[in-house]
Amino acid sequence: MMGWLQSVENSPWSIWLKESPSIWGYPTLLFFHTLGIAFSAGPSVAVDLRILGVARRLPLAPLDAFFKVIWMAVALNAASGAVLFASDATAKLANPAYLVKMTCVLIAVAVTVMIRRRVFRDAAEGVASVDAASRYLALASMILWFGAITAGRLMAYF
Amino acid sequence: MSSWVLPACESLHFIGMAMLVGIVGVFDLRLLGMAKRLPVAPLQRLMPWALFGFVLTLGSGLVFITANPRQYLAPLSLSFVAKMFFILLGCLNVFFFYATGLKRMVDGVDAGQDAPVAAKVSAGLSLLLWVGVMYWGRLLQFFGKSF
Repeated sequence: MMGWLQSVENSPWSIWLKESPSIWGYPTLLFFHTLGIAFSAGPSVAVDLRILGVARRLPLAPLDAFFKVIWMAVALNAASGAVLFASDATAKLANPAYLVKMTCVLIAVAVTVMIRRRVFRDAAEGVASVDAASRYLALASMILWFGAITAGRLMAYF
Repeated sequence: MSSWVLPACESLHFIGMAMLVGIVGVFDLRLLGMAKRLPVAPLQRLMPWALFGFVLTLGSGLVFITANPRQYLAPLSLSFVAKMFFILLGCLNVFFFYATGLKRMVDGVDAGQDAPVAAKVSAGLSLLLWVGVMYWGRLLQFFGKSF
């Protein structure tokens, strides 16, 4: 496994990514990753705030439309993240901040699915409902996304 | 400067960015026609949180610049200048949204209704400008001596 990861890390494209001064390599990849952060965590936080009672006169059900944006952003980050990971896999796996980040991301995605199912199940009929469990999920979602962001930033220090 | 301050500010900077771009993004996307079943006026109630995000980025950004002024200011990098310029334009866009009365017009956009063209232009600009800020911010470490 490590051997395979190392061979991916040392492949020509991976070395190009890490060493090329071209803007279209590493910088662009990082930009896409940042874009994904903003549009996955951002709208999630907006929906979470509404579930927690901010802007109560905002109808909840139509917010369902923004999950499309969230999932596209998550996909963008999965893709850019996979490339970033592959180019530096052995170091990343040894980085505790990275492991914390991936844990937060995976649980955040799971919580997002749970919120979608619990709150927005009947959103197509214009119905959405919030109960105590949904509020805990919304709070957890915010903590997890912010946790992922924090862990991601701290990767450089490990 | 104590060793935990800069990493903490980096986290706050990104959290603030996610809140700002994500919440303003939701608002802009509605003006552009997404999630049309949302009336626009109540969406404005989320704006204080976007503002809070902006304040987080501004504050942490000032910490970065004052902690290492030469990294950002001498020499000035294209990336830094462009980022500041895009932030300025983004703020001006918000200012005009309020100052021209567009905000009041948009408050009247109900569920199912289209926002006026001027609002769509403002929303499109807003998305482009804040994404631009993120783009130039990401490039800071690759231009000049910012890092």
